[in-house]
Amino acid sequence: MTMTEIAPRRLADVPAARRLDNGLVLYAAEARHAPVVSVWVWYHVGGRNEVPGTTGMSHFLEHMLFKGTPLHPKGDLDRLLARYGALWNAFTNEDVTCYFETVPKERYPTAIELEADRMRSALIDAGETEAERTVIVSEREGLENDPSFLLGEELVSVAFTRHTYGQGVIGSKEEIQTMPRDGLYAHYRRFYSPSNAYVVLVGDDGAEALLDRAAAAFGPLEAGEPAPAVRAPEPPQHGEKRVVVRRAGGALPLVQLAFKTPRATDPSTPALHALAVALAGSSGGAQEAASGRSSRLYRALVASGLATEVEASAGLNKDPFLFSIEASLRPDGDHRAVEALILEELARIASEPLGEREFARVRKQLLAANAFPSDTVTGRAFRLGQLLSTGAASSIGEWYERLAAVTADDIRTAAAATFDERSRSVGWFTPTA
Amino acid sequence: MSVAARAFEVERGTAGRLRVAVVSIPGLRSVAALLALEAGQWSEPAGRPGIARLAAQSLLRGTAARDGASWAAALDDLGAVARMDVGGHVAILSGQCLAPDLPAYLALAAEAVLRPALASDQVELVRAETIAAIEEDARNTRGVADRVWRELAYPAGHPFRSRPLGDEAVVRAATVADLREFHSREILGRGGVLVLVGGIRPADALDAAREAFASWPDGAPAAERAVPQAAIATLQRRAEVVPDKTQSDVILGWLGMPRRDPRFVAARVANMVFAADTFASRAGKVVRDKLGLAYYLFSTIAATRGQGAWAVRMGVNPKNVERAIETTVAELRVVLAGDFPQEDLDLAHDKLTGELRVALESPGGIAQMVLEQELFDLGPDHYVRYADQIRAVTKGQVVEIARTFLPADRYALAIAGPPLR
Repeated sequence: MTMTEIAPRRLADVPAARRLDNGLVLYAAEARHAPVVSVWVWYHVGGRNEVPGTTGMSHFLEHMLFKGTPLHPKGDLDRLLARYGALWNAFTNEDVTCYFETVPKERYPTAIELEADRMRSALIDAGETEAERTVIVSEREGLENDPSFLLGEELVSVAFTRHTYGQGVIGSKEEIQTMPRDGLYAHYRRFYSPSNAYVVLVGDDGAEALLDRAAAAFGPLEAGEPAPAVRAPEPPQHGEKRVVVRRAGGALPLVQLAFKTPRATDPSTPALHALAVALAGSSGGAQEAASGRSSRLYRALVASGLATEVEASAGLNKDPFLFSIEASLRPDGDHRAVEALILEELARIASEPLGEREFARVRKQLLAANAFPSDTVTGRAFRLGQLLSTGAASSIGEWYERLAAVTADDIRTAAAATFDERSRSVGWFTPTA
Repeated sequence: MSVAARAFEVERGTAGRLRVAVVSIPGLRSVAALLALEAGQWSEPAGRPGIARLAAQSLLRGTAARDGASWAAALDDLGAVARMDVGGHVAILSGQCLAPDLPAYLALAAEAVLRPALASDQVELVRAETIAAIEEDARNTRGVADRVWRELAYPAGHPFRSRPLGDEAVVRAATVADLREFHSREILGRGGVLVLVGGIRPADALDAAREAFASWPDGAPAAERAVPQAAIATLQRRAEVVPDKTQSDVILGWLGMPRRDPRFVAARVANMVFAADTFASRAGKVVRDKLGLAYYLFSTIAATRGQGAWAVRMGVNPKNVERAIETTVAELRVVLAGDFPQEDLDLAHDKLTGELRVALESPGGIAQMVLEQELFDLGPDHYVRYADQIRAVTKGQVVEIARTFLPADRYALAIAGPPLR
């Protein structure tokens, strides 16, 4: 049957942009399908900006930004956003710290004002720092309950010998427990300024109106000093690295592989994303997911009964990062056999281009997976901000075009350049009794 | 009229034994598709927990027309995503596809639901994966806490006593014939609800649904399972040690009410006042924000058939478990006594009604709202009335609901993690 097409084939939303005198860059795009606006503030500070002894500082600071300013004492922001029914949160990763709230459209000026207020005026109160310290330890302890987190943390730490990516993001428990309040405040003053941030607004208002409102709120803020650059390039790796984690806290053995990849701005990045889809689909590999089962690693590992789940992902980072693969084995699974099969599949995809039919399937999954999250206002704002944070693209439309231009040979070339034994790190999680 | 009601119009129809509801959102490129089959745990034969999930997962492993690999490849050819989750009374196939591909996606879904192969090799694969998941859950603090809580809260034979993953012995013993019978009697026999939301015209979507599911076989609906009323007579508590973990997961909960119970809206408001949100509800504000005892604390009330869980969940360092529980119960006592300020109730009203508007930003969010309305026959004007219903809930009703359903001395308490200190 035929469908009357009312859906655009691609998203042509090059955002409107404005640079304020204080250095803050604003981006705005209209999304008129729902009466909401999503407000995102991105700071160029994350795990990569930290030094040993205070790992996790950026993430700790993220928590402290909810603890009040002179204008909005602790509890104000939570209460206001709750009252609006907002979808809101914050996260810290290797490269950035980000705050967002999706609110009914008439409330977005308040959301912008709250964000502008805490950009330079957070209190980082000593007593609140102590109260939040145990919450963050609790967050870390929750993660430690997950064998995949434990193994991943170890694997990243061996993959990077010099670059701060090897420190992870949440920080060690010991360093969280001793994180000094004054250090947090200095970190805040150093990195939280208009010249080290940008704002993304997507929603049910004109792009210029969104920009005007943000400019009025953020414009009066002092620029701040430029943030110090990260100078810790990772030297080339010259051979495989291996790590084994043994704990009782998990029933399924895990195999993780990580290969060094270029930074997000590299021309091969879209092909690496297509490569991840070819290997393990686009939906994360959970048992309940029916999609991605035509992928190469699913067929080799899960359909054959060796593993229960497999996933692959390409990083989108400021500095060279990792292409990662994780397989969850059957309880009696054989790490060695699974690792060998993964390497066999990686060698195969690095040596022969995908056939026409397989390539068409991978391309369709890649483009659809890019479209789905953009059909929510929050997802569209996140995607735009994420692309901007790393310089991968200047709009969702541009990113789409770059994904759409990937060829079967690009995928093979990216695989051949990536799946090199010398840049490989391998981790095994072995459950113990 | 509420904002939510003005923001979307639902077109309805039928397709085979499915009630179909469509919401068109011009400008979106995709369609969210929720296919809810009334064949969850509630439909499992007595003493056979795990059959519903095993059957539902096996639907997606090949059909009469093509084997599992071919069906999976056809799904991936569309770039569609789909997953099957089994809950208290429904199994939900949640999918998303590009709008022009909706007819092809629905045809694949219909093939899986109406004419699954249930081939023995594929059932074995699902069985092995399920057993692995059960074993993994046995060393997962959240999984163990959930299992223990259910065992404390529900009597033997109750459909919600086990987790949807089921009992390992049942999963190991289930035969292909068992799954065929469950498919025929419960999945085909009961039908369900299909909700489609996104960049499609309603007429086209309804046509696509009818074409896909037209061959749904006729037959008498399966008899309803009789489930006796359950009750937690005294405080039930059990802590299980999960080795080599650093954090304890805690579930403190009661038996709730069916979604169709007229008190359910008031219960949602009471839940929000008490513990629903880590930052907006009383328990979270004290346990996390004031005392720093937990990273997360929230409560949910299941919208299901029968007595679903009304439970508070939290992740806590073992040395703080007792204090976090005591604090949560103390906050409950404040609600029971009606000693909370009007501001708490106002906040609950505002948050619950505000969330209705914000949910409109996502086709998946709208689809969830419409699914609840259709599954529980809440009426075509449900979202016209819903925000007003929330706002009409009084402090007296919150207290009454809490006193009826959340006694401070009769609940089930499950703790899983390191040894308690």
